[in-house]
Amino acid sequence: MLPVGSVNPLLSGASPLTKVDSPLLPKVPAGLLGSTGAAPTEGFGKMLDGLVASVDAKQAEAQTLTRRVLLGESDQLHQSVIAMQEAGVSFSLMVEVRNKLIESYQELMRMQV
Amino acid sequence: MNLISGIEISASALAAQKTRLDIVAQNIANAQTTRTAKGGPYQRQVVSFETELIRNQGMAGGGLQSIRVAQVTTDRSPGQQVYNPQHPDASADGLVTMPNVNLSQEMVDLITASRTYEANLSVVKNARQMAARTLEIGK
Repeated sequence: MLPVGSVNPLLSGASPLTKVDSPLLPKVPAGLLGSTGAAPTEGFGKMLDGLVASVDAKQAEAQTLTRRVLLGESDQLHQSVIAMQEAGVSFSLMVEVRNKLIESYQELMRMQV
Repeated sequence: MNLISGIEISASALAAQKTRLDIVAQNIANAQTTRTAKGGPYQRQVVSFETELIRNQGMAGGGLQSIRVAQVTTDRSPGQQVYNPQHPDASADGLVTMPNVNLSQEMVDLITASRTYEANLSVVKNARQMAARTLEIGK
């Protein structure tokens, strides 16, 4: 039986820690705080920033289109409604990502040490 | 970020059918117009569509085709001659050339445009529902 996909990288990633002969103390801070620790956090934060920015851009676009229709500058009613729906869907995607993030944080906080 | 795929195609179809509806409205409104800026009675307008390739479609459909109004042409068929000597646009023998608009044909066109619009609206609705349902996986 194949292992579950998400478990596999955990197992392979844990293998350097289980090595008894490796110098444990200098290696762990280098792994957690050095090159692998800081860069991905910044990368994910940047990506999240981009997500929020693009959701905001979609909302602004929908707002502009709706205003144009309401002011009588455009008669493309469907474009305004579709833009609103797109903005709604992307907003709920953002909320979903945020929920997952909070959930995983709380899961980590609940962890027994 | 393009979460609802294919919605640009439906949007273009909605715009095209809306143009068609406008032209039908113009034809029906001018069904009795015997004088235009170009001279002579009003002539029926016909809309034709053409496909348009969507360019910046990154992921799935590289060659998706949307729709746009190709041109609005004039129906050159002759209008009906009606004997009405009192009419200001009557010729010397009392005949008035009416527009070549056939109301029943315009009504059929109207219903077709309206139904096509509705069909595209349900595509939009379904695409949105698909995206929303997909987001419900996480719940």
